[in-house]
Amino acid sequence: MFKYALQRICYMILVFFIITLMCFVLIRMLPLAPLPAGDPHTEVIRLQREAAGYNEPYLTQFWLFLKNIFTKFNWGLSEMLYYGQDVWSIFVQKLPATMIVNLYSIIWSIPVGIALGIFAALYKNTWVDYFLSTATMIVISVPSFVYAFLIQYIFCFRLQWFPFLMAAGSNYFTWEMFRSMIPPVLSLSFGVIAGFTRTTRAELTEVLTSEFMLLARTKGLTKAQATVRHALRNCFVVVVPGIFGEFIGILGGSLIIEGIFAIPGVGGLTLNAITAQDYNIFMLSTCFYTAIGLAASLVVDISYGFIDPRIRVGSKK
Amino acid sequence: MKKTLALLLAVVMVLAVLAGCGPQGTTEPTGSGTEGTNPPEGTQGTQAPAEKPVYIYKDAVSQMPTNWNMFTYKTSDDALPIDYGIVDGLYTMMYNDELHPLDGKDPYEGFVFVPAMAADFPVDVTEQVKAEHPEFGIPEDATEDYAFSVKLRDDLTWDDGTPITAQTFLDSYELLLRPELLNYRASDAYSGSFVIANSKAYALSGQPVFQSFNDMGTTYEEFIAAGHTDDEVYLAMRSFWSVTAADGRDQAPITDDTMVRDPAVAEGEDEDYVSAKYLWDNYIGPEGYYGSQDPTGYTNKYAGTTYMPYEEGYSFDNVGLFISGENELTFVYEQPIGTEFNLLTNIGVNLVKPDLYESLLVENETASGSMWSTTYCTNASTSPSYGPYKVSDYQLDKSMHFVKNENWYGWNYDAYKYVDPEDGQTYDPYMTDEIDVQYVKEAATRKEMFLAGQLMAYGLGAEDFDQYRSSEYTLATPGQASFMLLMNGYESAINQRENAGDFDKTTTDLQTMLVPAFREAIGVSIDRDLMAATISPARTGAYGMLGTLYVVDPETGTLYRDTDQAKMALINYYKVDLDKFNGDLDAAVDSITGYDPETAKELYTQAFQDSMEAGYITDEDGDGKSDQTVTITYAISQDNDFMTKTIDFLNESLAKATEGTPFEGKVVIVKSAPVGNAWSDRIEDGTYDTQLAGWNGNTYDPYNFALVWTDGPGEVYWGNWFTGEDAMETWTIDGQEITMSLRQWAQALNGQVITLTDPETGEETGTYNFGDGQTSIDNRVQILANIEQAMLESGNCYPVLLDGGMSLYTQQGFWVVDEYDPFMGRGGIRYYKYNYSESEWADYVASQGGVLQY
Repeated sequence: MFKYALQRICYMILVFFIITLMCFVLIRMLPLAPLPAGDPHTEVIRLQREAAGYNEPYLTQFWLFLKNIFTKFNWGLSEMLYYGQDVWSIFVQKLPATMIVNLYSIIWSIPVGIALGIFAALYKNTWVDYFLSTATMIVISVPSFVYAFLIQYIFCFRLQWFPFLMAAGSNYFTWEMFRSMIPPVLSLSFGVIAGFTRTTRAELTEVLTSEFMLLARTKGLTKAQATVRHALRNCFVVVVPGIFGEFIGILGGSLIIEGIFAIPGVGGLTLNAITAQDYNIFMLSTCFYTAIGLAASLVVDISYGFIDPRIRVGSKK
Repeated sequence: MKKTLALLLAVVMVLAVLAGCGPQGTTEPTGSGTEGTNPPEGTQGTQAPAEKPVYIYKDAVSQMPTNWNMFTYKTSDDALPIDYGIVDGLYTMMYNDELHPLDGKDPYEGFVFVPAMAADFPVDVTEQVKAEHPEFGIPEDATEDYAFSVKLRDDLTWDDGTPITAQTFLDSYELLLRPELLNYRASDAYSGSFVIANSKAYALSGQPVFQSFNDMGTTYEEFIAAGHTDDEVYLAMRSFWSVTAADGRDQAPITDDTMVRDPAVAEGEDEDYVSAKYLWDNYIGPEGYYGSQDPTGYTNKYAGTTYMPYEEGYSFDNVGLFISGENELTFVYEQPIGTEFNLLTNIGVNLVKPDLYESLLVENETASGSMWSTTYCTNASTSPSYGPYKVSDYQLDKSMHFVKNENWYGWNYDAYKYVDPEDGQTYDPYMTDEIDVQYVKEAATRKEMFLAGQLMAYGLGAEDFDQYRSSEYTLATPGQASFMLLMNGYESAINQRENAGDFDKTTTDLQTMLVPAFREAIGVSIDRDLMAATISPARTGAYGMLGTLYVVDPETGTLYRDTDQAKMALINYYKVDLDKFNGDLDAAVDSITGYDPETAKELYTQAFQDSMEAGYITDEDGDGKSDQTVTITYAISQDNDFMTKTIDFLNESLAKATEGTPFEGKVVIVKSAPVGNAWSDRIEDGTYDTQLAGWNGNTYDPYNFALVWTDGPGEVYWGNWFTGEDAMETWTIDGQEITMSLRQWAQALNGQVITLTDPETGEETGTYNFGDGQTSIDNRVQILANIEQAMLESGNCYPVLLDGGMSLYTQQGFWVVDEYDPFMGRGGIRYYKYNYSESEWADYVASQGGVLQY
């Protein structure tokens, strides 16, 4: 397993390098943002561009890009959105808010989604199943910002249970902050809950009809025992990668939800950076998400071995 | 073992995420007063004892400031902390009341000046400075209006208690102008009518300046014949091709063959990379495409040489600001200051805390020297205050909180007290204890927060007008800007776009935009009032380039648009027959709509013929209609409902106006990709064709707009294809007929001395200065109106919407006066009062069921 993990990590670094190079070249091919005359940052950024090798061959530019990161951890300056400020410091300022909101959303959504999926599977073809399946389809079909506005209107405006916006500050583990995060967490959760409900129900329904479940029952296990010990574990081969998939989403944030609840996160940062031609921010976030995505896929692959003993890699033939 | 490993993996994942969520050093908890109505958490230490009522002004913005350094900030969003009082001035305006009486006026009609940071009013010391300081160049015949001394108060401090002295002013001004810092706001200090002597020479010392051969009064051939070489000839690459040279400069020697990327052309297309040499050889030089045809319009316009107008090492000691006594400053100006109003509103400089500013400067080493940047005023800890409020908390893209600056001298200053017109009682200013500003993106959220009592105001959207426009809490606020529909006239850029590989000339045309009749037709195709009612009901139709708030005479408060000269400018431009109104100017102006569908059809027909003759469009099938669709690209900053509504309305107007003409269905406006704040650059460089754009400026200095409108490349939307230097105008002033360029008229209007010479004999024919105090206000208004009319007739823009807004204002507080004044607004936060403290307000809102009725 260790050898396999090491091998995957090496591949991951290689893939990361290739993706980064491709993105770098594509981003450098985009038109540059015009810089206003007479601003000190304009001159700094012009000279930074010069130092970054614009007008040089792409491979030279990429070499300078890597050199700046590995020798100075310099990801460049923001050219438009936060004129002249270091993009790394902006990014890390905004990352925690996105992570914490989405983490709460995942922590809440997974057990609820799986529980509803189990419930629907156990009561397959009853009104409970029909209701849950229909509700799941509706929830998946409606974008999360619709829930956001509804939640804000009902719970924040009409009932006044929660504040309209996420609380300011960076102390994320206070009651005030937690309470202020409930509306965005709920808004983000509906889709995730529906996704897990549907996946769990589909997998569990299939597993429950398997012959080994019949064997388990004939051995004398109760339905609950058989479901928890055998069926659930088998359906988790599909469900658990979904959890890690959602974990990648944690870091991606949500542009619209962050806007509605004034979450100072990275959700809108990448999109705003593209719109404003602030390519240093765009490049940094691209690298970050690529790294997280590759790491998550590695964790997913390794996790298979723990979830299902039949899945083994790297063993002798 | 496996379970343990699985558990361990999960724990590591969660911990990794939580670790990233720890507090950041620069973003301490902010005092957010918008959640519920409790006082902010982060400001407990500054609050009064529990029994004292607390008043918090709660604001919401859709864009948080990121840099409010008064030397480098760029946008009005960034100016928010400055507007909320982290700075102060030498003098300030107070409403006319019993404590600040103004003869012949009712209370709260007009205003009076009171010294603020100054201890007294300025003293004219022109004679003395002229005698003692010849280096400031005060004219020999000047006896007054050039130099003023101001005694400062002795109790001025920063918010941390550090004293502010005359030396602080001097140090700040030096930092603002220091040549190597290249501060964005430095030009504000040395341009316009209030220039401190020699400040420009210091700020630009050692910097090369480009001058075209046309400006030098010579030609390329003459320059070379005089013994110069091509290495000394520079090409204005930014002006001509919208690219910068390899070293980042706007110009490069014509011998420089370093290829630079043209951002307007896709990679791999023709001319995706160009060099100064390439542009010279192919376009600008005597053998080039344009240069061979029109040397004056191209070779000698875009080529020239660089020179250094101010030598390196120019001393700040020569700048006309010095300490003239104990805590006393003397300001020496390059031009006479005409009126007391202008003096008191302009004298002084913005302060920075010099030691902090110096410590935050970062030197960026580059191949061609050092460049400097700073983090001053980008967070709470680098944001010192010398005004009534200070920044206590700031979180990037989230919130900003202000508390009272307890060290501000004004808390104990009787001149700031005022008398309430309702109850006749005397009050201290600034009842507001704290100001909380939150980023709230969605209008729907702002509305709900307002109705829940969590914001002080809500700007009405089009969908709110029916419900709230007649509410007693709704106030209309006129805006300054007149929004104009810009029209691209940049021929070379349009040609370049048409020559791109993917442009289909058989179906699409851009060049017709250059036809005057077509441009005029667009202008009369739009029903301004209907447009305002459709897309933005708080606004109204606009007809002039200046809005309704501008004051031509601060002493009397006369508004520009109320003058006969301004009315005649519109009557002339819109060709209103004054006889039909028996000479009644008001009635004639009221009749103007700017919308004339019949004339539009005639103009479109004329434009079709002109465009055919010019070879811009074709009519292969002979059906009398254009084969091509004239496609006008609207530069959008971001895609939103307003943009969609605007463009839809314009397209409907054009479709209606072109019915039955050769352009029927053949003129469309399309959205560009969202380009953020770069939209103005894209209009200037001709990449996109139109936008609704306007300017805000000093309410009491509309004359300065003439300088803006007539400026050149890089300074005004149309600078690349129309400058005031090219348009000659003859007007009669005081019975004398004077001919000079629009630019010269604008410069003379703003206090520059313009000397005219006979082109044949070279003899001086006259010297003119129509600046403040140099001629009558009637003359100045006449010149401004003439310039406005000439600019309208140039066809580069068509005024369509006059800015304005309507907002609901909270029941929690109110301004002392509701009526909007061009100078005072409604008095700002200084005159804002409260009906309820925070705790009382919370109780009141709860008693109303949590949702307030307006």
